[in-house]
Amino acid sequence: MHQKYSIIGNKIFLLAEKLITTVIKKSLSFSLWDSVGLLLHSLQHLNNQNNPQRETIKNIMVRAYTQEHVYKHPWERVTSASWRKFVDPENKRILSHILEVDTLNRKLDPESGKLYTTRAITVHTPGPWFIRKIIGQDICHCVESTVVDGQSRSMQLSSQNISLQKFVEVVEKIRYDPHPDNPNEWTICRQETSIRIKPLSALASMAEKVEQRCAERFVQNSAKGREVMERICKYLEAESRGISL
Amino acid sequence: MGDNKTSKSHTHSSTSPCAHLRAAYHNCFNRWYSEKFVKGEWKKEECVSEWQKYRACLAEHLDDKHLSRFLEADTLVIDNVNESPTPT
Repeated sequence: MHQKYSIIGNKIFLLAEKLITTVIKKSLSFSLWDSVGLLLHSLQHLNNQNNPQRETIKNIMVRAYTQEHVYKHPWERVTSASWRKFVDPENKRILSHILEVDTLNRKLDPESGKLYTTRAITVHTPGPWFIRKIIGQDICHCVESTVVDGQSRSMQLSSQNISLQKFVEVVEKIRYDPHPDNPNEWTICRQETSIRIKPLSALASMAEKVEQRCAERFVQNSAKGREVMERICKYLEAESRGISL
Repeated sequence: MGDNKTSKSHTHSSTSPCAHLRAAYHNCFNRWYSEKFVKGEWKKEECVSEWQKYRACLAEHLDDKHLSRFLEADTLVIDNVNESPTPT
């Protein structure tokens, strides 16, 4: 029993790892949530097939990935862009999977210059028309907590999904800091993503099918994300020049 | 026959009854953030009336229980931020 378990488990582990590696490496912050629906859809589909492995293998796998990106813009501008990324109407056409962004809570500490924010981000889950029928919903809520330290010039974001948690838990942490080589002109963005998928068996069996579609989607969205950030930065740059002239 | 799909706008966000108040607040905040906060002027909070109107609307229309929890919280629980990725 135990041996069988580990053979199956190992194979599944490899498949799942392959999927997640491909998916996460190609993802960027907000594009990540786009995958949730797709994964879910696949998992639910398998559960419906009465897969016997589902009962015996209840492993939970966590993987973490990191990315870095340097923006050739000062920290003040990049963090301003970060606030506007999902909110500006002209970006909504491009980032069409982001449905709603609401600020739920905000607190300013006037002594320390720290700004605390909680936002809700509602993401449309991709996939075919029947997804709504299968999972019972076609949106996913994510909560994002942000601390901006105006004194030390750092911005830290942490977000995770609060719906669909029985299938997948995704946590993303992002930091924006002045770049050590050019702290007044450049900004370094560090991102760490961890994904926890359950149940493992269901994922693995669908891994190859899901992999390709997720990967395609992520490539599109991560390109869009940088494009949007860079464009807002350029816009803010032009605006600040206009003001200073 | 429910006729709540007759939205004139093409964007998803207009489906929310708080969309206008939200946009007003976010515009105000974004301006404050880039023109004041990042320049060290954080002693005085701005956009207070926009915030209050928007929040009142959210409190009325936010029907998701998970999200309401965050809205009602007096103090923010920022559990993950402290473990943010650090320079390697």
